[in-house]
Amino acid sequence: MAHRKMMRVLLVEDEEINRLELAQVVARAALKAAAGGGDDDLVLDEAENGAAAVQRVRDAATAAAAPYDLILMDKQMPVMDGHEATRRIRGMGVTTPIVAVSSDGLPADVEAFVAAGADDFTSKPLSKEKLGDILAKFRLA
Amino acid sequence: MEYSNLRRQIVFMKKNLFDQGYLDEQFNQLEDLEDESSPNFLEEVVALFFKDSSRLLTNIEQATDKYPQDFYKLDSLVQQLKGSGSSIGALRMKNECSVFKANCNDRNLEGCRRSLQKIKREHATLKQKLESYFQLLRQVGPRDYAVSSRK
Repeated sequence: MAHRKMMRVLLVEDEEINRLELAQVVARAALKAAAGGGDDDLVLDEAENGAAAVQRVRDAATAAAAPYDLILMDKQMPVMDGHEATRRIRGMGVTTPIVAVSSDGLPADVEAFVAAGADDFTSKPLSKEKLGDILAKFRLA
Repeated sequence: MEYSNLRRQIVFMKKNLFDQGYLDEQFNQLEDLEDESSPNFLEEVVALFFKDSSRLLTNIEQATDKYPQDFYKLDSLVQQLKGSGSSIGALRMKNECSVFKANCNDRNLEGCRRSLQKIKREHATLKQKLESYFQLLRQVGPRDYAVSSRK
């Protein structure tokens, strides 16, 4: 019997409306993959700010839990922003792809995220197509 | 016959919302995310947007009345509103938020206040138009997800 691989995605976003939309995009991408005969389950975890994200990544890196396959990181968040969270996650030695998702596509923003350790940047709102491109880029689909 | 008329009204209303610049493609993207398990996803997201944005507008108004003026805080609040607006495809609101942010950058308080009034008007108009749109949709009933309903 073929084992289904569980793909874990961490969504880091403080605004509820954006979390709701992104969660639905991810859910539809998972359904599409399953309908197409894919053998991966896509599981979404959410964190409301950078500090919560760092904690989730730390917890996932323990022996009992599976690490994340992808982290979608917002920029502007209370408690800890996306740049700092990215820096701290990289500081833990975590190599999970981090994709910054922000409504500001200014070069300075992109550069700041890359300098912090992000692998890619995409603008809000995140569509099914953009998510598909991200999953393909990091060979997750 | 009644159903056909209602569907035509819905299509016409939606086309107007796009043609008049109230909405952009993101609205269609949200509609495309609906399925049998989330048949009212679009309306739920829009309702959440108006709940959040009303609160944000109140905060922005209070922030414009403060002295001395904190343009960084103002910009941050408007950025949140712009982001939320982008999430549902509220094009006019998004554009007016950009004007507000430019006024913040120029430290132009009067400009910020004028922009705020425009944003509030756009917000109220969009809310009224979308309420009418969803009212019509509810009369038609659940979508047939086997049939595409793009504009």
